[in-house]
Amino acid sequence: MQRSLHLSHPPEQGHPSDVLPQIENILKEMAETDDWPMTLTMRANLILEELVLNTLTHGDISGLTEIDLQLESKGHALTIRLIDDGAAFNPLEDAPEPDVTLPLAERPIGGLGVYLVRTMGEELEYRRENNRNHLKLVVHPES
Amino acid sequence: MEFSHDRSGDTLVVNASGRVDGSNASDFLESLQGMFEPGDQKIILDLGGLEYISSAGLRVLLMAAQNLDKQNKSFSICSLTEAVGDVFRISGFDQIINVFPSVEDAKQG
Repeated sequence: MQRSLHLSHPPEQGHPSDVLPQIENILKEMAETDDWPMTLTMRANLILEELVLNTLTHGDISGLTEIDLQLESKGHALTIRLIDDGAAFNPLEDAPEPDVTLPLAERPIGGLGVYLVRTMGEELEYRRENNRNHLKLVVHPES
Repeated sequence: MEFSHDRSGDTLVVNASGRVDGSNASDFLESLQGMFEPGDQKIILDLGGLEYISSAGLRVLLMAAQNLDKQNKSFSICSLTEAVGDVFRISGFDQIINVFPSVEDAKQG
């Protein structure tokens, strides 16, 4: 099953996080149609929330006008393709890696989102082409 | 998100259900902190009804855990669904926050 979502920036109205219910609904439909395990639905939601909100709210978003999201589910594997025309940002390299082995008192509050994307995503590929960020990854129910 | 809580002696059990994401994580933190009272020594967060948690929600749990730890209070989480447990495992949260299968286990733990 394939689905896509086109987002304009800035949004006509509302808050960046208003996009989350749209993502949730698309994934819910895909999960029902392709009978996803709950862990895949969770991982897909978490990764997409992270990537889309990062693009919409973090770093230099001055040149950003659109985000294209393409989703393809085959069996229990979801391929995500995200293309945006914002400033160059490679989430695979341009964000610090948090140390998830630190004890409670020393764990930093931030940095977890991109880590989860890198850890839950497989076959991660990033390229900058025609002034756009192209990110591809595959999500499985388990790792 | 929906919340309920049950206090018995110095033990507070909070039930949080629904979804916690980037749109409501700050409400989640505010609601949680609003439930704590100075006399609570053991705080158990029952997430059996939690359908979704993103990194924004994990940040709230981390802040709450660190805050309670500083006050030498006990904080544990219980009744995770398979999908929420998967996120806990990958983020390493199961190594820094006590996780129990049920409220009863958490009360005894």
